[in-house]
Amino acid sequence: MVEVRLEGVTKRFGRVTAVNSVNLVFGDGEFTALLGPSGSGKSTILYLVAGIYKPSEGRIYFGDRDVTDLMPNERNIGLVFQNYALYPHMTVYDNIAFPLKLRRTPPEVIRDKVLEVAKFLHISELLDRYPAQLSGGQQQRVALARALVKEPEVLLLDEPLSNLDALLRIKIRSELKRIQKELGVTAIYVTHDQSEALAMADKVVVINRGVIQQEAPPDTIYNEPRNVFVASFIGSPPSNIFPATMDYTEEPCINLPGGTRHCVEEEYAGVLWRMKPSKVIVGFRPEHAEIVENPVDGRPVIVGEVYTVEPLGRENIVTVASEDIHLKVITPPEVRPEAGELVYVAVERGKLMLFDPQTEINLKYIAREWSQGG
Amino acid sequence: MGEGIGEGGPLVRGTMGIVIILALLLASLPIIMTYSTLVMTSFANTIVSSPWVKFRFTLENWRLFLEGKLAPTAGIVYTPEDILRFILNTGIVAGGVTLVVLAASVTSAYAFSRMNFFMRSGMMKLLILLHAFPGVALIVGVYAIYVFLNNYIPRDYSIYYSFIFVIIARASLEIPMAIWILKGFFDRVPWELEWATIVDGGSRLTALRTAVLPLVKPGIAAVAIFAFLAGWEDLIYVLVFLPPQEKTLATYIESQLGSGSLETTYLPVVAAAGTLYLIPTIIFFVVTQRLLLETMSGGLKG
Repeated sequence: MVEVRLEGVTKRFGRVTAVNSVNLVFGDGEFTALLGPSGSGKSTILYLVAGIYKPSEGRIYFGDRDVTDLMPNERNIGLVFQNYALYPHMTVYDNIAFPLKLRRTPPEVIRDKVLEVAKFLHISELLDRYPAQLSGGQQQRVALARALVKEPEVLLLDEPLSNLDALLRIKIRSELKRIQKELGVTAIYVTHDQSEALAMADKVVVINRGVIQQEAPPDTIYNEPRNVFVASFIGSPPSNIFPATMDYTEEPCINLPGGTRHCVEEEYAGVLWRMKPSKVIVGFRPEHAEIVENPVDGRPVIVGEVYTVEPLGRENIVTVASEDIHLKVITPPEVRPEAGELVYVAVERGKLMLFDPQTEINLKYIAREWSQGG
Repeated sequence: MGEGIGEGGPLVRGTMGIVIILALLLASLPIIMTYSTLVMTSFANTIVSSPWVKFRFTLENWRLFLEGKLAPTAGIVYTPEDILRFILNTGIVAGGVTLVVLAASVTSAYAFSRMNFFMRSGMMKLLILLHAFPGVALIVGVYAIYVFLNNYIPRDYSIYYSFIFVIIARASLEIPMAIWILKGFFDRVPWELEWATIVDGGSRLTALRTAVLPLVKPGIAAVAIFAFLAGWEDLIYVLVFLPPQEKTLATYIESQLGSGSLETTYLPVVAAAGTLYLIPTIIFFVVTQRLLLETMSGGLKG
């Protein structure tokens, strides 16, 4: 298989810059997810790799081969579209056979290959049907079969699960990952669904407004978001983000809403001493906090009033209003405070994230860059 | 709860159905009356002018018509007309218009739908404007072109020239609307289908042929019907540009009903001509209505 490399790729549509000087490497045989909100440019990157769009600037490589000026059919890619784009007037068999027919493959070979891929994806009994007679999940498999029958070096998937119902989505997502690993094909997967990206990908690339926000394994994306955007985009419900003032009388301390103070952990102290920002942006995940009655034990604590409680069965989402900031906290089912009740929100030790208010970059990353840069 | 008229029980629906059928019947009664009078007259020994006229079934009118004996009372000096030739002429004009309209509108509608070029939306607006011009208003200009080009046509070929000119001139009146109709159909075919073909190794033309055209078949059928009927029914262009002896059914019926000939014309024979004139319209609709109603949207979501 092959590694896909984007070097300084920019794509403009008229005056709109959809993708802005992106450098990216999609590892050989790796499953990479391009994650971002709609209009972030993630699909544009996919179609640039496919060759459907030509980059305005920059080069695209498949291994050592410069494919920037090659047509899609010269790139040996398989592409699965969001709406599957099956040919409605052809049977499933003809749909899957179509790419091979265009390559003038001998009919016996076509037959063997179609049957093989159909068996692999468990759609052998559907070959005589028309796409309209299939369920969403079956159509999705046919689209995948059509992409795989060419034995592509790179498999491109454009939100392939977004038209399926929630249960099927979870089922197919594990299957898709198994198939990808089994074939060892380099896969690029575009999605706006963070749970898909985190569950399936070896590497997640978070994109917003055509710019890469973070490029890391799912764990890192979740635990150490590089900037405010990643922190607020990943997680369900997303991270609580709010501004806070700093106090440097003895050590760097944050004035939290509700009047409490929290003096920062060591990993942040150094960078804060050096930068001495008067304000920071604070973030923490709803699942990293709990509602307590007595603020003790030195955990960061925010005082507030219960605003709403949403019971979800397995857990509750409690919204706490502190000053004019609304914070969400996930609590166990038995913790169900009354609206209007005064509570303390305690954040797990080491789970408070601090961001530079100007660049919105996680101070942890700034500290790391400094220690690397000397 | 929630039982409105639309989703009501069988009783409500039944009553509504009767009302709707009666209303439709009332609205179409004048049309039905006229056409049935025409058709019945063509098979009768007298003019059927009201439902109470007693008549005898006969094929005599049809025989006279097909033999071109339009005025059986005119006596022996009368020369029969070559009706089969007229039918053939009508077919040539209608078929030619259909082919020209399809060739021009399918390609340009695809371009308007899929490609970006200078003045695209301006040209779309211009097309609607063009469609608004009645063919009669253009006839002086079209005639000028006819005469101008005719200077370069050898005399022996002038009959072919006349036919080709009528076909192209009549077709060009239909093309603007045809492009509009087809563009709408092309717009509904998702880009992804073409992209899929291109990624799979096809050229843009392959994509058009294998992925797009089968999906716009209903649109092509609609445009073909309209073009065919426009050619079949055309009177003024045929009258102006074809030599007088080359009639089509429309100009032929017109000539029978026109000034001077009405006295000698036997109207039941003209009714036979009128009935024949209707047949292709009916056949065309019956054959293509399945295609027109057919929607092929399966396999595409989102």
